[in-house]
Amino acid sequence: MFGKMMPRMGTPKWGQKPLWGRKPRLKSHYDAVIIGGGLHGLATAYYLAKAHGLTDVAIIEKRYIGFGGAGRNTAIVRANQRTQYNVPLYKEALDLWPVLTRELDFNLMFNNCGNLNLMHSEAAMKAARMTIATAQFHGVESHLIDAKEAKALVPALNISEDITFPIHGAMFHPPGGIVRHDAVVWGLAKGCAKHGVHIHQQTEATAIHTENGKITGVTTSRGKIHTPRVLVTAGGYSAGIIYHMLGIKLPISVLTIQAMVTQPLKPILDHVVSSGAYHCYANQTLKGEIATGAHMDPWPNYTTQNTAHYIKHQAEALSDWLPCLRGVKFMRIWGGLADMTPDMAPIMDGNNLIDGFYMDCGWGYFGFKSCSAVGKYMAAFMASGNCPEMLKPFNLKRYENHALMGETAALVSYTPDN
Amino acid sequence: MALTLTCPVCGKRNGYEFRYGGEDKGPRPAEEGMTPSAWCDYVHMNKCTAGVQKEWWFHRDGCGAWFTTYRDTVANLEVDAPEVTE
Ligand SMILES: Cc1cc2nc3c(=O)[nH]c(=O)nc-3n(C[C@H](O)[C@H](O)[C@H](O)COP(=O)(O)OP(=O)(O)OC[C@H]3O[C@@H](n4cnc5c(N)ncnc54)[C@H](O)[C@@H]3O)c2cc1C
Ligand SMILES: [Zn+2]
Repeated sequence: MFGKMMPRMGTPKWGQKPLWGRKPRLKSHYDAVIIGGGLHGLATAYYLAKAHGLTDVAIIEKRYIGFGGAGRNTAIVRANQRTQYNVPLYKEALDLWPVLTRELDFNLMFNNCGNLNLMHSEAAMKAARMTIATAQFHGVESHLIDAKEAKALVPALNISEDITFPIHGAMFHPPGGIVRHDAVVWGLAKGCAKHGVHIHQQTEATAIHTENGKITGVTTSRGKIHTPRVLVTAGGYSAGIIYHMLGIKLPISVLTIQAMVTQPLKPILDHVVSSGAYHCYANQTLKGEIATGAHMDPWPNYTTQNTAHYIKHQAEALSDWLPCLRGVKFMRIWGGLADMTPDMAPIMDGNNLIDGFYMDCGWGYFGFKSCSAVGKYMAAFMASGNCPEMLKPFNLKRYENHALMGETAALVSYTPDN
Repeated sequence: MALTLTCPVCGKRNGYEFRYGGEDKGPRPAEEGMTPSAWCDYVHMNKCTAGVQKEWWFHRDGCGAWFTTYRDTVANLEVDAPEVTE
């Protein structure tokens, strides 16, 4: 058996060129330019080319695809958001993972292990009942369970009264789980290239040009591009780009969010478990590591630095509600940016302030789970110029109209706004 | 590197003693002639500068003072006020 494998391993075919093809030539004109080669840029370009026949599309990426949140997130997917506008969008995103796996012919490693959101007070249980009712109304499976039922699902859970935040129960969302985040980047990039999209890495957008209220082009570190359509999907960098290049201010604060993994362990945790009171979530990866995160220093910060404060917080929280992890070592830690809005919901808007200008940002730490459906709808938006019904509630005007969305209670709000 | 901030009363202290109070947006706009968009701009909108910005802080776990200072958001470090250029 090994004899058969060896010669192929010696000359790896897959090592010769990336899945997204050889480096394309930067043209001086594209029908659409997307700034940011993250999840949302790749997904939108993929659907523009595949579903709308708009194949003359360039993705402009400052570093490499997946450099931003796309390559740093903890890969949690779920559809049990709080408000009626958000739930259907996230439900569609969740339903799309198996579809995309087939369509892209790329294993996205969707592990629908289920999410358990711990509640630590009667008030939290009451809030969970409302969130669950909304989910069920929209056809999303979600149940309230008590502490004993939670313990039956996750035996490692500490349900004693004698911890900082005793567990009263949990919101159990069976269809959620984990999708391999790098696979989504690679799979979408492969799909983009297959349909003719140009992915330009090591290319930074430095200016966006307009004339008489219309988009005319983008200047990049490798030359100028003429285009009638620009989408900014630069993750944590979007708000700065949109203000400094176009003068449009957004209700966003850019915070550093950190995550870490422990040394690999035998299987002990087969759900994604999160806790608002402990500011902590954890799941066990297929490699056996406990991946965990949530804490953010609540002030704007473009570094992706890690802090001792966070490591201590995470160790204290985990060893309280998952006491079997006491003494386990953290192995890797990293950080990324989260662009937070006051209502914990994103901003998707366009073609109104400036013709041909679109934005998709403010995703905070929810931009992974949403990217599949958002790519589909943003592509429909850009191809027609008309905002799809699904995206209308996410307009920028809602802040001026006092129509904030109230996703806030889904997890603890970390924005400096509360 | 950990953030430290200089409170006008207590001096240089650990950043976690403070609460961020937002970008400095100048004086609160007058009530008279106020439009929803002007109010929204003051309350919600940010420049999200990657670099030095003037911002508000509250010494929450200290003397309770509110003050403005300058910080480089790319280094996450407090810096001296930039020189005024005419
Ligand atoms: C530690 C961490 C954990 C997270 N966990 C989760 C989670 O469990 N579930 C979830 O749903 N979400 C999670 N997120 C959030 C999620 O990763 C982001 O919301 C998502 O990546 C946003 O996608 P995006 O495509 O908009 O931006 P990104 O994926 O950040 O991509 C933006 C890209 O734009 C590029 N760029 C920036 N400036 C320029 C420029 N001037 N020119 C050209 N390119 C530029 C960047 O290099 C980057 O590659 C997490 C984020 C972090 C950091
Ligand atoms: Zn003080």
